Amino acid sequence: MIHIENLVKRYGDLVALNHLNLDIHEGEIFGLLGPNGSGKTTAINCLLSLLKYDKGTIEVFGQSMSPDNYEAKKQIGIVLQNVAVFDELTVYENIDYFCGLYISDKKKRKELVDEAIQFVGLEDYCKMRPKKLSGGLLRRLNIACGIAHKPRLIILDEPTVAVDPQSRNKILEGIQKLNEQGSTIIYTSHYMEEVEQICTRIAIMDHGRVIASGTTEELKKMIKTGETITVEAIPLEEKHLQNIRNLPHVFDIHYENQILTLRCTGAQHNLIRLLNYLQSQDITFGRVFSELPTLNDVFLEITGKQLRD
Amino acid sequence: MTVFKGYMKILKKNLGLVSIYLVIFFSVAMALQAAARKDRLEDFQKTSVNVAVADQDDSILSHALTDYLGTIHNVSEISSDPAVMQEELYYRNTEYIVQIPKNFYETCIVQGTPISVTKVPGSYTSFYVDQQINAWLNNIRTYISAGFSQEEASKAALVQPTAEVSMYQDATTITETPGYTYYFRYVPYLFLAVLCYSMGYLLLAFQKEDIQKRMQASAISIRRQNLEGLLAMFTLGFGLWLIAIIGAVIMYQKDFLASRVLLYYLLNTFLMMTVALSLSYLLGLFIKNSNMLSGISNIVSLGMCFLSGVFVPMSIMDKKVLKIAQFLPVYWYESINETLSQYRTVSVDIAVDIWKSMGIEVMFTLAFLTIILAVSKYKRQR
Repeated sequence: MIHIENLVKRYGDLVALNHLNLDIHEGEIFGLLGPNGSGKTTAINCLLSLLKYDKGTIEVFGQSMSPDNYEAKKQIGIVLQNVAVFDELTVYENIDYFCGLYISDKKKRKELVDEAIQFVGLEDYCKMRPKKLSGGLLRRLNIACGIAHKPRLIILDEPTVAVDPQSRNKILEGIQKLNEQGSTIIYTSHYMEEVEQICTRIAIMDHGRVIASGTTEELKKMIKTGETITVEAIPLEEKHLQNIRNLPHVFDIHYENQILTLRCTGAQHNLIRLLNYLQSQDITFGRVFSELPTLNDVFLEITGKQLRD
Repeated sequence: MTVFKGYMKILKKNLGLVSIYLVIFFSVAMALQAAARKDRLEDFQKTSVNVAVADQDDSILSHALTDYLGTIHNVSEISSDPAVMQEELYYRNTEYIVQIPKNFYETCIVQGTPISVTKVPGSYTSFYVDQQINAWLNNIRTYISAGFSQEEASKAALVQPTAEVSMYQDATTITETPGYTYYFRYVPYLFLAVLCYSMGYLLLAFQKEDIQKRMQASAISIRRQNLEGLLAMFTLGFGLWLIAIIGAVIMYQKDFLASRVLLYYLLNTFLMMTVALSLSYLLGLFIKNSNMLSGISNIVSLGMCFLSGVFVPMSIMDKKVLKIAQFLPVYWYESINETLSQYRTVSVDIAVDIWKSMGIEVMFTLAFLTIILAVSKYKRQR
């Protein structure tokens, strides 16, 4: 459905997109994951022809994408990172206006607008102006404005930024429902949990290029980490750290402020082995966590830095 | 026409403020018209003052002065007793008391001693009586110097020369300024205030970066979006022009409709509307928030109107100010308005001047449009 090849976008000396390659298939919820400034929004803006790019090709629905490819644009719904609604219009008028940019038939549009309002759960707020809505409701309005015309492809650029957990869950559920109804979704975020939760395929971006892509499982298999163990309030000496480092399957340890973090390869019984060692040395400790690898671990191993940084 | 309808919907939210400006405009126009009617001098009537004369001389000249005052005022005799005089003045039985002393000829005419008078304090009519007495005394002195006897001088001073004045009114000039001149003088303020505010309000909504991005990503071409936007703005301007013209028709009816310079008024206001529309669009491109919007709207509309003779007639404005005002479009509108207020019909010479001023208004509109295009292009590239 979307084919991006060798896309380069420069802002002066800064390379925002560095030979970006992406393929997105029909029916996917495709996640673009990366820290702030990694080039996600720039890629989306180039895809929508909102930005001119220096090099590369972009194809959408098998056609080359350009600012005047209105046939392609008709089938795309866009939910921008910042809420793009008119403060002067009510919730209903806003959705009706943005839907009207795609659907001219008044009767059909009314049906679609009502459906979109129901979909995002804004039935009780139709006559309210955006300024009176909470952050979460405003985000839902932003989504309703982007999806009301039932597009084939929906691009959501960080739609859950500054949203309360309840609204976030509602938004994520809604995105999955849209996908079930037949829309292909491109979802950009720097929240790895969200991407992991809803995306069928993920591309991790850093410095304007894709550093890894695949399903969550595929991405996790790419890295060495099979388990991360964290032990809090543990007083350790250098000899203890050396001994722990020498435990089987442990390949990385980090000790700071009496918090010990171990990264182990995929083998089992790592936690038991560590606890046995601590008991044998009579070392007291606080809470203990064992986590399976996350996308943050994938990012950390590939780039050497945290995704949250 | 989604974009057009969007503009109109947002404009509708701004109707309250537009209505306030319209109410202010029509109230001021009516007040100006009422004031203009009061100012109109329709006739002149001499007023007579109650003058009392205390004649202690009882001579030919003292009688002559009494007779002279009698031709202008209501003259009565009064006692020389100060108590009586004060009482008469206190009860306003008289406003002016002339005390003619003994040896009136010697003391007042030959020696030039002023006649003693008592009058109501602060009365402006007394000032005129003072002047009339002084004029009579001067006349008597002149006649006597010329060899007239006192009797002859008295008779001669009694005759007041009069001249008949004929008024000539031609078919082209107007002696009385029509009421709608005041109305049209004030129209630029309505246009500038309403359009600056409304256009700023519209552009503030549509020029937001995220809204523009959202619109650019939509299925409607940028060209069509721009055209629909411009159509909405022109509809606003045209609607306002229509309201102004209908207002004039309702207020002045036949006076206005029968005017032979009606078309000039229509065209001049229409051109003023296009100037105000383009200027307000240009200003709207720089407005960042609603506080800035009301500030700029007021500064531009009031400032331009004060400098260009909207609130103060050009005829009483300082020449230096008018020179500066020539760089403002409202000046040219007002100069046409001033010209039209003086003529029933427009001769070729006058028409040439009017068309020149209208041309300058068009040039202002074109200049603003050019700047708008340049600024918009710069913003897009940025």
